[in-house]
Amino acid sequence: MRYSLFPGCIAKNLYPSIEKATSIVFKELGIELVEDPYTCCPAPGVIRSYDFDSWLVIAARNIATAEAKGTPLLTICNGCYGTLGAADRFLKAHPEYIERVNRFLATVDMRYLGATRVVHFVDLIKESLPQLKDAVRVELDLKVAIHYGCHYLKPSAHGGENPERPEILERIVECLGCESVDFPEKLSCCGAGGGVWSGNEDLSLAILHRKLNFIKEAGAECIIDICPFCHLQLDQGQKRLKTRFEIPVLHLNQLIGLSFGVKDKILGLHTHMVSTRNIAKKAKKARKDLFEENEEKEI
Amino acid sequence: MALDLPTIIRNFDLRKCMQCGKCSASCPAGFESNLRTRMIIYMAKSGMDVLDLNELWSCTTCYTCQERCPKGVKVTDAIIFLRNLAARRGNFPRIHLTAIKAIYDTSNGFPLTPEISKIRSLLGLQKEPADVAHNEEALSKFRRLMESIEIINITREAQK
Ligand code: SF4
Ligand code: SF4
Repeated sequence: MRYSLFPGCIAKNLYPSIEKATSIVFKELGIELVEDPYTCCPAPGVIRSYDFDSWLVIAARNIATAEAKGTPLLTICNGCYGTLGAADRFLKAHPEYIERVNRFLATVDMRYLGATRVVHFVDLIKESLPQLKDAVRVELDLKVAIHYGCHYLKPSAHGGENPERPEILERIVECLGCESVDFPEKLSCCGAGGGVWSGNEDLSLAILHRKLNFIKEAGAECIIDICPFCHLQLDQGQKRLKTRFEIPVLHLNQLIGLSFGVKDKILGLHTHMVSTRNIAKKAKKARKDLFEENEEKEI
Repeated sequence: MALDLPTIIRNFDLRKCMQCGKCSASCPAGFESNLRTRMIIYMAKSGMDVLDLNELWSCTTCYTCQERCPKGVKVTDAIIFLRNLAARRGNFPRIHLTAIKAIYDTSNGFPLTPEISKIRSLLGLQKEPADVAHNEEALSKFRRLMESIEIINITREAQK
């Protein structure tokens, strides 16, 4: 199956390591990703807060781009999913809006038909769990703190995991030979959404600080996220806080990449703000037990 | 979407609110700020003016309150639409104008910088992504689309 990858602004322009890890993981899973000319999703927190209709038109433009190619849209970011998934469902439920949106899109020779779908990459991995299991080559044996982030789980009216008791990330992480640690307020927000990250930095960091305290106490060796915006907050935000937490942050696709035996440098772990050295070391050790040095995976 | 307070009250079921406080008790932003979700819902459903409250902009739109509301009040959606009204009145964090301008100028909220471009190459990715930002014709078309939608007027009005 082919998917059109919607990398989103942050994975493209702030954390290309996430874009890289994604291309490696899906190639290994036998899923073809193509690139199409997209814009910002647009950001659900900021743009939707100003004008819902404007948000809908820009989102519909992006969906229409994938639709014209006949490919479903694959998001690797909860924010993009929160926009593109919600906009697509809204338009499908309110067909009277489609005409309205298309009047705008006609000025740039585009058209939204409602003929494709928006997929969160975790749901695609969920469907590919057997292939994932087969592709795992090294057991990382890490204690990880899972951060779901908000807009993959909620609003739950959109379907998917139970937002109060999700389990898919725990299953994936176990599949990779890692342990998911439990901690209070595991499902709470990172503090970045809703325009708070840029609009009210003190509040945004206060919410983050509270969460990191719980993660630290739980003894996690790293945090695993499924959203570059949460990733930005968890990684760069740690550096802005006065407390030195130094908990490495990995997007799920980077953890999967490591489990496939891909080197940490290839996955761009060294480009993060919080040092990932300890994780890289552990991954290297796990790899050594399996490969001769010259056999190491260099995708 | 039609925008006025009575429509928001109706569309998002604010009248069903029984003031149990579960929303406020669940609110991660409320732990750390003056945001009192229950109060905003109470004021709005009673027809009071909430649009000047800065707390409207403290919500991270995490949807926890909406998920947990025992009466099915669409709390987060209501806050988002109250913000739509507040923005028209000029109550919003001015820093957001930077993000909106970045989207207009480059089609991305976070534009590519030369430093990241270098990292992209080092990682073996295309130096510049094949997005609208790096396609002149697509970008000018996108700007035309932006010119036709309301958000530009709201933000230009605010800058006057
Ligand atoms: S949880 Fe629902 S019913 Fe309870 S106070 Fe909040 S909005 Fe009202
Ligand atoms: S959606 Fe907003 S108001 Fe509701 S719990 Fe989250 S931060 Fe609080």
